[in-house]
Amino acid sequence: MSETHDDLSIELKQLIIETLELEDVAPGDIDPDAPLFGEGLGLDSIDALELGLALQKRFGIKLDAEAEETRRHFSNLNALKALVEARRAD
Amino acid sequence: MLRRRLDATGRATCDILGVLDPNADLPLVHASRHGDTTHTLEMLEALERGEPISPTRFSMSVHNAVLGVHSISRTHHRPLQALGACGDEFDAILHEAKGYLVEGHRAVVAVLSEGPLPSAYQGYTEHPGTACAVGMRLTLDRGRRLMASDPVRGAHPTPLEVMAWLNGDAPFLDGRHRWQLGAE
Repeated sequence: MSETHDDLSIELKQLIIETLELEDVAPGDIDPDAPLFGEGLGLDSIDALELGLALQKRFGIKLDAEAEETRRHFSNLNALKALVEARRAD
Repeated sequence: MLRRRLDATGRATCDILGVLDPNADLPLVHASRHGDTTHTLEMLEALERGEPISPTRFSMSVHNAVLGVHSISRTHHRPLQALGACGDEFDAILHEAKGYLVEGHRAVVAVLSEGPLPSAYQGYTEHPGTACAVGMRLTLDRGRRLMASDPVRGAHPTPLEVMAWLNGDAPFLDGRHRWQLGAE
């Protein structure tokens, strides 16, 4: 099993799909290395705020919406996973 | 992609706008007396519980959100007008449409919609009892004439009543004026 099929990756994919109501997207459609925003999955700035709130609720991770590092954490699924592994409060 | 942010009524509204304005080159008017009350109430309840509200829901909580989504998804760059008029939406639509037409636009597309009313609000306001939406394409060109006269008694027509009237099930529609359609 590859690294991207672990439980946390699947949980994050489901979190993204449910939180952002991506009706036509299945977990398998989210490439862990592809950009989540703009091209790739095509998410926008409101989705970023929504996802930030979901990370806060689920994992207790608070992010600064203005910080450059937040942009990096949200660049793709693997970056998001690394953030959660490093900062999760539960 | 942005449609995911709309409820069923918002999607129906966009579908109607797309059918009546297929080239996305006409001014659009969207009127709704109450708008998306379900999501607005959800946000109020979240605030009451001290929980943060959804940024997506907040971004969609303005009355012109449906037209905004439609204009982005269809790259529509013509005038847009969102209306709420305490039950007088039908008359307001026609006044706004006439303004655009007199300015020289060849036609105007208007949708009147109502979303479902949450149970907490039932009994506190007039509502058609179901989610509904109806659209019209209005022009000053030849066609079925729309005529206004003073109503016997003013009324608040819902989308369902507008549909019944346009179907010929009612001889006239009472709003602030009595509206009648000329012969075909």
